[in-house]
Amino acid sequence: MMLVKRILILLPVLIFVLLLQSFFWVPTYDEQAKGNPERLEEFIAASIGDARILNPILHADASSGTIVDKVFEGLIDRDEELRFRGRLAESWDIYEEAYFYVNDVMGPVAGQIEKLIMDAKGQSSYNGSSLGESLQNIKAIEVLPAETQAEELQVSGPAVEDLKPEQITLNISIRSPERIKLTLGRVDQELFENLEELLGKEYFSSFPAEKYIDIVQSGHSGRMAELAQKYLPSVEHNPVIIFNLRKGVKFHDGEEFDSGDVRFTFESVMDVANLSPRMSDFEPVKRLEEAGRYKVRVIYKRLYSPAFGTWGMGILPEHLLNKEALEKEAMAKGEEPGKFGLRDSDFNRKPVGTGPFAFREWKSDQYIMLDRHDDYWEGAANYKNYTYRVVPDLLTQEMEFYGGAIDSYGVQPHQVERLGNDDAYQSFSGLSFGYTYIGYNMRREMFSDKRVRKALGMAIDVDKIIKYVMYNEAERITGPFVKQTDYYDASIVPLPYDPEGALKLLAEAGWKRNGDGRLEKEGKPFAFTLITNGGNDLRKSILAIAQDAWKKIGIDVKTDIVEWTVFLGKHVNTGNFDALILGWSMGIDPDLYQIWHSSQTNPQQLNFVGFENAEADDLIVKIRQEYDYDRQVQYCNKLHNIIADEQPYTFLYVGKWTAVLDKKIVILDRMPSGEEKIAKIEPTRTGNYSFYFNKWVKLSDNPVFDMEQ
Amino acid sequence: MSVKDRDIKELSEGLAGEVSRFSEAWGIFSKNKLALSGLAIFIAFFMIAVSGFFLTAGEEPLLDPAKVRLSEKLLRPFTSFDVEMVRPEDRPVFGIYLFGTDDLGRDIFARMMQGAWVSLTVGFVAVGISIAIGIIMGGIAGYYGMYRMKFMHLLCMFIFLASGIMYASAENGGAFIMFMAGTVCLLLSVGYYFFYTRRGADIPVFRFMFFETITADSFIMRFVDIMLCFPTFFLILTVIALLPANIYNIMIVIGLTSWMGTTRFIRAEFLSLREQDFVAAARVMGISDFSIIFRHMIPNAIAPVLVSATIGIAGAILTEAGLSFLGFGVPPPHATWGNVLSDGKRFIFDAPWLTFIPGISILVVVLSFNLFGEGLREALNPKLRKR
Amino acid sequence: MFSFAVRSFFQKLITLFFISVISFLVVYLAPGEPSQIDPMNPKFTVEDLERFRQEFNLDKPLHMQYYLYYKNLFTGQLKSWKDNQPVLGKIVERFINSLWLFIVGTVITWCLSFPVGIQAAINRGSVFDRSTTFFAYVLISIPSFFFAYMLIIFVVKNFNVPVIGMQTFGMSGAGAFSQVMDRMWHLVLPSVLGALGGIALLSRYVRAQMLEVIHQDYIRTAKAKGLSSDKVYYKHAFRNALLPFVTMFGLILPGLIGGSVIIESIFAWPGMGRMGYEAILARDYPIILTINFIAAVLVLAGTFISDVLYMVVDPRIRL
Repeated sequence: MMLVKRILILLPVLIFVLLLQSFFWVPTYDEQAKGNPERLEEFIAASIGDARILNPILHADASSGTIVDKVFEGLIDRDEELRFRGRLAESWDIYEEAYFYVNDVMGPVAGQIEKLIMDAKGQSSYNGSSLGESLQNIKAIEVLPAETQAEELQVSGPAVEDLKPEQITLNISIRSPERIKLTLGRVDQELFENLEELLGKEYFSSFPAEKYIDIVQSGHSGRMAELAQKYLPSVEHNPVIIFNLRKGVKFHDGEEFDSGDVRFTFESVMDVANLSPRMSDFEPVKRLEEAGRYKVRVIYKRLYSPAFGTWGMGILPEHLLNKEALEKEAMAKGEEPGKFGLRDSDFNRKPVGTGPFAFREWKSDQYIMLDRHDDYWEGAANYKNYTYRVVPDLLTQEMEFYGGAIDSYGVQPHQVERLGNDDAYQSFSGLSFGYTYIGYNMRREMFSDKRVRKALGMAIDVDKIIKYVMYNEAERITGPFVKQTDYYDASIVPLPYDPEGALKLLAEAGWKRNGDGRLEKEGKPFAFTLITNGGNDLRKSILAIAQDAWKKIGIDVKTDIVEWTVFLGKHVNTGNFDALILGWSMGIDPDLYQIWHSSQTNPQQLNFVGFENAEADDLIVKIRQEYDYDRQVQYCNKLHNIIADEQPYTFLYVGKWTAVLDKKIVILDRMPSGEEKIAKIEPTRTGNYSFYFNKWVKLSDNPVFDMEQ
Repeated sequence: MSVKDRDIKELSEGLAGEVSRFSEAWGIFSKNKLALSGLAIFIAFFMIAVSGFFLTAGEEPLLDPAKVRLSEKLLRPFTSFDVEMVRPEDRPVFGIYLFGTDDLGRDIFARMMQGAWVSLTVGFVAVGISIAIGIIMGGIAGYYGMYRMKFMHLLCMFIFLASGIMYASAENGGAFIMFMAGTVCLLLSVGYYFFYTRRGADIPVFRFMFFETITADSFIMRFVDIMLCFPTFFLILTVIALLPANIYNIMIVIGLTSWMGTTRFIRAEFLSLREQDFVAAARVMGISDFSIIFRHMIPNAIAPVLVSATIGIAGAILTEAGLSFLGFGVPPPHATWGNVLSDGKRFIFDAPWLTFIPGISILVVVLSFNLFGEGLREALNPKLRKR
Repeated sequence: MFSFAVRSFFQKLITLFFISVISFLVVYLAPGEPSQIDPMNPKFTVEDLERFRQEFNLDKPLHMQYYLYYKNLFTGQLKSWKDNQPVLGKIVERFINSLWLFIVGTVITWCLSFPVGIQAAINRGSVFDRSTTFFAYVLISIPSFFFAYMLIIFVVKNFNVPVIGMQTFGMSGAGAFSQVMDRMWHLVLPSVLGALGGIALLSRYVRAQMLEVIHQDYIRTAKAKGLSSDKVYYKHAFRNALLPFVTMFGLILPGLIGGSVIIESIFAWPGMGRMGYEAILARDYPIILTINFIAAVLVLAGTFISDVLYMVVDPRIRL
């Protein structure tokens, strides 16, 4: 035989033998999972996408969030009941400093007012009234002297057609009158309303601020109102939060955490160059003061209760990221120090925080590995490692899970149904913090009628969607609040499935069936397009179901699935749609301003359905200004009722998250006595099954629990 | 004998040659069992697709591929429906679900029938576009290739292109100005051309408009080179992902990214045909370029085009399936075999038929196209024929 | 020769310029905007989005954006919008990962195609010829993701070993040799799947080329001389049939980026294709454009190499 022929035949055989023999060196799934004691000490989570940036003030995606939450820790977080609890802050106090200018139009001078208030505080006749409550709440009163200041500010000149407006420098002088400062025991949004009872009607609103402002340049009197609002607001609420920080907490590199880190984190967020997506969260902060090594005082510009929750954001280590550190890094990399910012730092790929897990390694699009932080102040976690594996395909994720190579993955409802009956797994479900809805563009004439919106909702059998599309992994929802909180009014009944009733409502609104069975009003058929974004199978299914259901009552519905960015850019942000299927994922905080307030209906804003309701507007503002939990709940329930009645959305369902874990994963409590107690993993009331993640452990055999537990 | 008569005579002679060539090709083709079975499946698929279109189209189709029956989800093939849960008008036509149902209780048989038509349409239209562009570009390059483009041609082209770009980036004012400038430029050159050639008047200022630049052939072929430099699937993916998802965009984009091969061999074919006696004779007779190209040259060059079209349709069906897998395929309400397959793969452990039915169907049909195309190639290739 | 190389080089540069313009326009003129990273997050204000637009130069006129983009690319300043990492660094990392798949895939393709193609040509019309023809077409007719799933499920269910990723997860503790073997195992399925189309096409091409050659007169002469058929085919015919393939070496370069998106996604392989796909999803323009640019450079380099090789091996060609 020819050598060439031999080579030609032998070479591929050899190569295949070489490649295939490697099979014998690969550990099987069994060897990896069951026969490997080390595997019990690590938790491997799978995800479709990789993290982007591991920095608590910069990340904006879910994958990064998962890792950041393990590596960093905020001042506070929420406990099992969704109430705030201290983390890096041991405790906190909230009080208020309120200011108002003495209104000389109304008469009394500063001294008199001070006396008036103090006297009234002493009188018992106000007891029981809301004014009395406000007065009792005043802990101190102080008169600030009048002062004069000069300001120079840049404004944009009048816009001439398309050209960019010119920048003009304005010199203004402000002669502010005497001001009174009230220190309150708790935040009181009705303070000034109540004080008007004492000081005279319109005492605050009639304050002639413009009188005290002079603009040196002429021709700018039109700006007066704006300037007055800026420099001399007649009243000002300044809520103050004092955080008492936990002592002796160490970053993963051993450095101790203190108030400087909190200040640094705050300043980094507010630094425009960092492009932090959290900037608007902290915009209401007037200033932040370090009051000692373990005490931070945050003073806010105005009443804004959601601002408190933002302190759950992870705290950065100042010593690794301050100016000197960044300069050093820039030098080492040979980059220009002036241009080198927090965004460019390697820190974002190997973060250092104070959380229960410390960063070890990140291989892009492969995995992120974390190690247990043994010095964690609350006690070290049970798992030695936490790994985040990127597996972009759901089917291969599923197969890796069965093989035991990953511990949790993005399990889908139909899989939960199957795996729930399997002895090897335990499954969990609980309500999530998001809901899916059909939103109607209320600027369109056909949707401006409440009855029409209601009828459209009644024509859809939501229970059927929940049963068959969601495999019962969802619950109905009637309003925009998180269902498991008190803000949600559980007494509101969802719309019934009633196509007949829907037709009746539509008939009332003027839509009648014609000869073909199609709905018509004044000769015009009821036709619109329902859109949703691509890449979401559930929404796609709902799209088909809604189209089908509405067709049945004679509505001609076209559907369209649009790619996400186009969906936003061309339809949602511009308000160019009839109806859409979309979901909101909510924070626990009940602030609904951006989605429901009537001022947020412009292009690019989130009230894209164009919901406008004066009563709702009022409540929305009150909710975000209220620091008292019970009152907030009251306002929220009222708002919920209004929205449920108006039906700007057909609220479909709040999905349940589902998770499947190996049954061998349990909660292990180590008692101080050294005794170990095993408990089954149960979701908390709010549906968080991984709340005690730090106590999880994987046993080598299926656990047996005592009956009492 | 008038020119026309001779023309017809020649044409009929050509036809006679065609017929004998056809029977010769068929003789070779029919011996190739694989190609024959490919052709059989090809014809069967074509008929299924057409009947699929008639059965699933219209307001109340016999087979409704979009009918959702939530209670009937994930049923095995050949199961019958639940009499209690399914309303009479929702019942499947045969009383059973031939191919089972998907996660929304839609009849897979109906979806496959519709999908056959839609997939075929996607393939045909995409390949049609690419062939049309290929013939035009290749024809120009092959026939008029020696012609040197004047500066004004390039200038006009550039200005109109810029106007289009401005329009696309929403600078309507600029687009309008550019458009007008282009029109003026075009009119000027046409007017000047008229005077220049008819009157012999020479205006030196405008002479630069007539600077000869590159030849039409190299202009087109360089453009082909440029297009060949894009990674095709990645380019399709980019464009489809950025454009709004609809079936037309997919067909157009697949078509617009696959014409280069056709252009190349039409050009090569034309270059050799140009030099052949019958074309030279036709030209001497004063027959217009148009009828030379369309009546004499294209019929002679069409055989390899047919082969590549057959294989191209197969490729387009596969490309569509790949796009569906990545989430950028033909969006609902149209079912294609690609999106039935990629929707079904989530249920591979719960309802394997959702994966296997479309997967194997695609395999069989694409295979038949390929085998048919290959058989065609062998039958039409004179070099192979001699042996 | 030298003048040809220089001329060809400049031609390719001009082509590259037009490619850069076209790909830039395709990406930038498409509807939708990247700065809407997550505008549905109620926390993102209009000002935030505006700041991102500025940071990404999206507020500048188109030609400035073009200039800035390519300036940054060539000075190595270009950063991904998604995670602020230098684009070149990211691409180099993925490029190496893809390179492994590519090399193994190419080796398999070339080693397999030649014996199969030659045997099919020698025994034209035999069962072997017909069955390889048939299988070659089956391989290019099967939707790649469908086939990939079938293979994965088959291997995992029957052999109970991991196949996805670049290595078995958690192997870092094992010995160096088993790690190498493990990585090799993880290369098998994706590279075979990636090579299927190539094997089918190349083996068909080899067969056609071989058929062409063995009907030449000198082969007939050699046979008539009484040489053994092995010698005729493998010495005389094979050498001559090999010629056109030498030039094909250049043309396989672009395959590095080509159609690996689906395979890399399924196998969780952190390569170029998958990065490109994710960049498209996130509208990470710098990455999309750079991948396109590199792909174009590879194609041009490939054609250049193949032109040169052609000249070298075929003395009749003098360009």
